[in-house]
Amino acid sequence: MKALSVENLCVKADNRHLIENITFSVEEGRIAAIIGPNGAGKTTLIKAIIGLIPYQTGSVSLFGHPFRHKNSHTRVGYVPQRLEFDRTFPLTVSELLGFTVPPIYSFPFHGKGKERKYTDRLLETVGALDLRDRNIGSLSGGELQRVMIARAIINEPGILFLDEAASGVDIKGQERFYDLVMRLNKEKGLTVILISHDLNVVYRFADDVLCLNRRLVCTGSPENTLTNEVIKTVYGEMMGAYIHSCNEHD
Amino acid sequence: MSMISEFLSYPFIRRALLASVMVGILCPFVGNFVVLRRMSFFADAISHSAFAGIAAGAILGIDLSVSSVVVAILIALLIAFLSEKTSLSHDTVIGVAFSGAIATGMLIIGALKGYRADLFAFLFGDILAITNSDLLLIFVVSILTVAILLIFLKPFLQITFNSDLARVEGINVRFFEYLLFLIIAIVITVSLKIVGIILVTSLLIVPAASAKNLASSMKHLFVLSSLFGVISGITGLALSVYLNTSSGPTIVLVSIGIFFLTMLKRARA
Repeated sequence: MKALSVENLCVKADNRHLIENITFSVEEGRIAAIIGPNGAGKTTLIKAIIGLIPYQTGSVSLFGHPFRHKNSHTRVGYVPQRLEFDRTFPLTVSELLGFTVPPIYSFPFHGKGKERKYTDRLLETVGALDLRDRNIGSLSGGELQRVMIARAIINEPGILFLDEAASGVDIKGQERFYDLVMRLNKEKGLTVILISHDLNVVYRFADDVLCLNRRLVCTGSPENTLTNEVIKTVYGEMMGAYIHSCNEHD
Repeated sequence: MSMISEFLSYPFIRRALLASVMVGILCPFVGNFVVLRRMSFFADAISHSAFAGIAAGAILGIDLSVSSVVVAILIALLIAFLSEKTSLSHDTVIGVAFSGAIATGMLIIGALKGYRADLFAFLFGDILAITNSDLLLIFVVSILTVAILLIFLKPFLQITFNSDLARVEGINVRFFEYLLFLIIAIVITVSLKIVGIILVTSLLIVPAASAKNLASSMKHLFVLSSLFGVISGITGLALSVYLNTSSGPTIVLVSIGIFFLTMLKRARA
């Protein structure tokens, strides 16, 4: 089954195309990576798909249903590129997760205990149980991104959108982050659409690659898309693919 | 002890005390959202819009409480609408609405003939002049506002944290934005008689800002802000009676004193 179908999607701003005639689909349970240079429209594409910015033409379907329907929202998880929030916001990690706990586990309908158990299990899944009572503003980049993943999957979405979610996180943190994404994909069958500038990450973790430069330049497996020719077409003549040998795609 | 009982033997003092407790809980409760969302300028604009409403009420012969609340709500909705539908920044829209409301109010008041004591009660506030019907109005608004905010606490907090994430999770951000603007406008106008148009925003902002200096969780924030609001109200009122000063400014200054103490505590932590 197709988790995501995008057809002829166009987004314009000030009479200029930000993305043009984008058509692609992603099968359920796959990890698809969107690559492209700065200004290629990667974030615009994800934001248009999840309804954060309007698109002029085209359509988006999730699991066979048009996504403009409000109820579809419950099946989407999203971790943005740079989470903008007030760092002095007096909010603990468990309170943040409590905002989005499904009503079936939620206080006051089922008591604090059930809500706590549910959020604890979720934090354990992302390796962040020790952060439960920490203030959200005191978390490091990597810790915050793990918490944001927990928040994104709290309603058990079928599809997770990650917009350069690990940028600004140190190498060890990035490794842990993508291992977590991979584990959620394998264990829960979660479809993941991610944007990354790190071609090694894409090569290691993605099943499908979408090369974008306002238009869709190519799609396919990492082996077929991350070639010198394609990279030069997408990023320009100065660029080429160099995949570290220790990160073999399995 | 005898001084306290003498203090409480006056009905206007008892009414003022009740009003300061209710407003001390209500304003910071709403003020937490104003502070967390950095909407202080918006709150200021709404309180000054009430000035145009009061002036309009005076010239049209309408009850000033009614005219002030109607105009404040209209200006709040206009700001929300223009911010949403135009590319102008939120600050610019507020600035235009703010100065427009003040200019209109001044123009109308300039055209009024004779001295109007009731206008001054709204401009500078007088908690000792609170009537039983004012108390009832504050009570009803307090119950309704706190109930609405508690029922919809999760979506309100989600939007406050990050509106994009809230939208992705299916929350009708537009509806809750308008609802919050409406609540702020109503709370400001019912609190006008306590400290007046010029100082009313401080009842919302200062206790909430003090609480934010100390709070480690949202639960702490809501409890502390209301506690600081009530302490400021009661202490300010008692001091104003004892020192024979204006009640509104004394309440606000006590509240600002608490704010500086919490700043010190935060700096030491």
